[in-house]
Amino acid sequence: MEIRKLTNKKILIEIGRPIITIAIALLIGAAIIALMGEDPVLAYSMLFKGAFKGLGNIIATLQNTTPLLFTGLAVSFAFRSNVTNIGVEGQMLFGALAAGIVGYYVHLPWFLHIPLAIIAAGLAGALWAYIPAIMKAKLNVNEMVVCLMLNPIALLITGYLSSYPLKAPGPTNKTFDIMKTARLPQFSNSSQFNAGFFIAIALLLMFWYINNHTKKGYEWKLIGQNPVFARYGGINVERNVVQIFLLSGMVAGFAGAEQVLGVYGAFYNGFSPGYGFDGIAVAMLAKFNPLAVSLSALLLGALNSGSIVMQMMTSVTRDIVKVLQAVIVLLLAADFTLDMFLKKRRDDAAGRKKAKLEIEKP
Amino acid sequence: MNEILNLNLITTIIRISPPLAFAALGGLLTFKAGILNIAMDGFMLVAAFTGVAAAYFTGNLYISVVAAVLASMVLSALFGYFNLKFKANIFIAGTAIGILASGLTAVLLKGIFGQMGVFTAREVLRFPQYKIPIIDSIPVLRELFSGYTILVYMAFIFTPIISFVLYKTKWGLRVRAVGESPDAAAALGINVFSIKMQTVILSGLFCGLGGAYLSLDYVSLFSRDMTADRGLIALAAIFFAKGDPFKTVAVTMLFGSAQALSVRMQLTAGIAPQIMQIIPYFVTMLALVIVGIQAKRKHFNIEATTAR
Amino acid sequence: MTEALAMTGIVKRFGALTANDHVDFSAHKGEVHALVGENGAGKTTLMNILYGVLTPNAGTIDIDGKRVEITSPSVAIKLGIGMVHQHFKLVPSLSVAENIVLGHEPGKHFLLDLALARKQVKEIATKKFGISIDPDAIVADLPVGLQQQVEIIKMLYREAQILILDEPTAVLTPQETEELFKTIRKLANGGKTIIFITHKLNEVMQVSDRVTVMRQGQLVTTIETAQTSAVQLAEKMVGRSVLFRVEKKPSVPGKVLMEVRSLKVDSSRGIEAVCGLSMRVRANEIVGLAGVQGNGQDELVEAIAGLRQSREGDILLEGEAIHNASPRKIRDMGTAYIPSDRTLVGLSVNDSIWENMILGHHAYEKFGKGGTLDKKKANSFTQSMIEEYDIRGASPQAPAKSLSGGNQQKVVLARELSRGGKLIIADQPSRGVDIGAIEFIHRQLIAMRDLGCGVFLISADLDEIFSLADRILVIFKGRIMGELSSSEATIEEVGRMMAGIARDGDKKIDE
Repeated sequence: MEIRKLTNKKILIEIGRPIITIAIALLIGAAIIALMGEDPVLAYSMLFKGAFKGLGNIIATLQNTTPLLFTGLAVSFAFRSNVTNIGVEGQMLFGALAAGIVGYYVHLPWFLHIPLAIIAAGLAGALWAYIPAIMKAKLNVNEMVVCLMLNPIALLITGYLSSYPLKAPGPTNKTFDIMKTARLPQFSNSSQFNAGFFIAIALLLMFWYINNHTKKGYEWKLIGQNPVFARYGGINVERNVVQIFLLSGMVAGFAGAEQVLGVYGAFYNGFSPGYGFDGIAVAMLAKFNPLAVSLSALLLGALNSGSIVMQMMTSVTRDIVKVLQAVIVLLLAADFTLDMFLKKRRDDAAGRKKAKLEIEKP
Repeated sequence: MNEILNLNLITTIIRISPPLAFAALGGLLTFKAGILNIAMDGFMLVAAFTGVAAAYFTGNLYISVVAAVLASMVLSALFGYFNLKFKANIFIAGTAIGILASGLTAVLLKGIFGQMGVFTAREVLRFPQYKIPIIDSIPVLRELFSGYTILVYMAFIFTPIISFVLYKTKWGLRVRAVGESPDAAAALGINVFSIKMQTVILSGLFCGLGGAYLSLDYVSLFSRDMTADRGLIALAAIFFAKGDPFKTVAVTMLFGSAQALSVRMQLTAGIAPQIMQIIPYFVTMLALVIVGIQAKRKHFNIEATTAR
Repeated sequence: MTEALAMTGIVKRFGALTANDHVDFSAHKGEVHALVGENGAGKTTLMNILYGVLTPNAGTIDIDGKRVEITSPSVAIKLGIGMVHQHFKLVPSLSVAENIVLGHEPGKHFLLDLALARKQVKEIATKKFGISIDPDAIVADLPVGLQQQVEIIKMLYREAQILILDEPTAVLTPQETEELFKTIRKLANGGKTIIFITHKLNEVMQVSDRVTVMRQGQLVTTIETAQTSAVQLAEKMVGRSVLFRVEKKPSVPGKVLMEVRSLKVDSSRGIEAVCGLSMRVRANEIVGLAGVQGNGQDELVEAIAGLRQSREGDILLEGEAIHNASPRKIRDMGTAYIPSDRTLVGLSVNDSIWENMILGHHAYEKFGKGGTLDKKKANSFTQSMIEEYDIRGASPQAPAKSLSGGNQQKVVLARELSRGGKLIIADQPSRGVDIGAIEFIHRQLIAMRDLGCGVFLISADLDEIFSLADRILVIFKGRIMGELSSSEATIEEVGRMMAGIARDGDKKIDE
């Protein structure tokens, strides 16, 4: 009976926390808007309308959601196993470039061309993710620091390639437009909503299945929860961490593929407003669950999409979304547990943990 | 070639360095305390904006610098609290702070000043240039060392000061101990949280000076995301120089000159700017690899000598 | 004469566990007082209370006759109490002097006066120790023995009058140990009170004036060292904890399942822990390994389970040498391993019971074809295990941490024993487990033996060894001291061997 009571409370906290966090962020945003002399209610209603009112807006929202589905999944999948792949931004860029190259320089019928471009993108992303993976496994270098350096390096390398050797003629820094046979079909005249969306959804379902219904998914979860236990049980932790990095990088590469093959038709230098970093917010809101990623990506996609309208109709710029996102991430990353307010419980738990450590120590 | 390498280049490098140097010095303190401080771009950006805003409203440069520093310190306190007290993952917290700064400054830029891209104050305020007495009368030296504004001199003067603080004061010793072995420090009664928090807020102070310099002295404007990853480059410099204050500032100047040269080389020789810009990150990656290999070899050697 | 230190009626509880049960501990000025007991006896808890790391639920502490409240290490230091931990609290890249003065640095205002620090360090080292130490040496470069001296000087620099040493000789060579003992004697003669926690009974006899034995949270006795012996201490340390014996038929051992030949394994500190050990476990028998903690058991077991590399020698499973194979391979070869650290190694407490139950099984076909995981099968398997092993308060979906210690151990047992392995390694299977569960576990192990398995039981509980084992081996300083059949063995004899006294006469193994 007591166990059930505790689990019910826990479920409330699990779902309640993201919702409360979003609410707090919206409140803070409203305060900032009000401080600048604008009407927060008006601003938010513009935001909401811009995201959801009318088919056109809804499709635009879905288009904005698509890259976040990919990057959110890439981050979720890795973080679930305690693999801090924060290089998703760079992996996505290389994936995009690979798609742009295969899309232009190869000539194939569409049913071969599109898959090939996508695979190339996934491979590129995975390869770029291999660098932090191998550095962690073989040289025990902190993968966060490596990813930190690799993101700007990726931006600069892809930037150079698309501005010089692979540059298409014209004023913009981009590669040549890809062949029609490599293009992902678009479904709307007013936006670039394309088939990539459905690929993303399929990926989410696939990874949900992998996480929950395969033996590998089980092993990878264990690695995140207790790597000592996993190793004792015969799981090769180092090898699996590399695998996780590769898969995460591959999904990030797919994010780039969707942008090039579905939205822009070429690799444009600087096309990403930070989808890789947005993926972190998406992943955290979704608590690393692939199905929940669809919801949190939709939320952020809606914010991004609706803010365009809000910017047109009020003097509040799109950047307010960044503020909301940052507040959400900060609040979620912090470790406030209900226990924190029940100090006695915490002391007991800490004491028990300490006692255990002492007792089990030889 | 003459167009590229001349005295003018050196003074450009010296004038481009203060934001990087300030960030590196502040970041060095947090580095020694064991903190991966990737929020420095955010600190500097907030300071840059606040500096210009204060200059707009008060017309006084010095008040503006103080305001900028305060704003940066407040943001750094937020970062410190979330990471140290609430145990938020440092990379996530740092990136979030950076995004917060970017978004907030852009929103306020539009909201307060009605601008979307770039903002300049009504009248351009200038920092006075200081001429150093004897040096000013010597031809070449005059160009190199005299006539800079106060923030430039401060950036360089602080380098030996930080070195002194880290290695010759009690606080500095505790910072170094806390960064390397927090358990050892705690066992001796040192308040680890307190020391770490102090370094974070000090990094906020230094980044505040750097940001103020950026928008009030180096140029006289604020534009969105104008820090352009300087915080990250400063961090790279710290890793590369393995935390030695003088080496770190020297490396930041190197990295800063790579930035300066990148623009020049593009204009004069048509060389892609990315080639120079990549240097700080690439070089730091190499350093990480080399350090990793060295550490591994050392471990192997120990194994070899104690086996059999 | 007032005692230098008097702890009275100390009680410390962690939830349901009583780590210190009304302990009265005192020490004289100028004495060397040894504190001995098995893991879980409560001695480290007691000292952590003295050093301010923990606060007691009840009881008082008097220093030099004055009532004090020790709320943190800084308070303890101010009261003149210093502690040298088993895992050194040093900053590797700093110098000796810097490490010693950290937190109490000499110098005007905020300035650090390293010259003065060096001078003070040298003074303490030569005057109190009679040794010379280089204050500028980098700690990371020093050998372990010198590092320990730095730790001691660190405490003397803060004018500690009471020095607590936690397992000081665990990392020292014999020569360094001699040096340490000379130092301890010198300090005691100078009026300091030294309390030292140890497992090594011969050292207790060599250097202490008085010794206190603790067991299961209670103080068993405090006695003058001159009036006791290592054997007596060993007996008092392990004693009787469980008051029953499970029914057991005599065993008829079959073929050799596991053989260890001249095995040498190093501990994590790089010191040889298993020193050329040989032993065998056969089918249809339970081999019990008795010994005081810290004599190489942990390293031996880890090597057999594939969690630690061995340096020399062989381990053979059913005749096949394992050559430092991975844990996976060793499990696949038919080894079941019940680890001593249940919550860290044996379980993932935040995961659900079914997730803990199928580890090691999950790759097998019975839980899904190919790569898929059939959760229904996993759940029903877990449910049947719950019933078979009588795991109370469990449902497959519940998190493992919701179970009591005994039931958690049953999960580990169920998982390991249901994989059809031949060799079962059970390391401290009854630690932290209630009586009812212990009885169940013992019955299970005997049942497995009767089915043809070989059980290798490692336990600090002599009664458990006597109750279960067919053959008893005693480990001492990384080697097997002796082998007895359980029918002929007596507690006294085993106790003697645990203390290092060989079977034939009074020969002591002393290196």
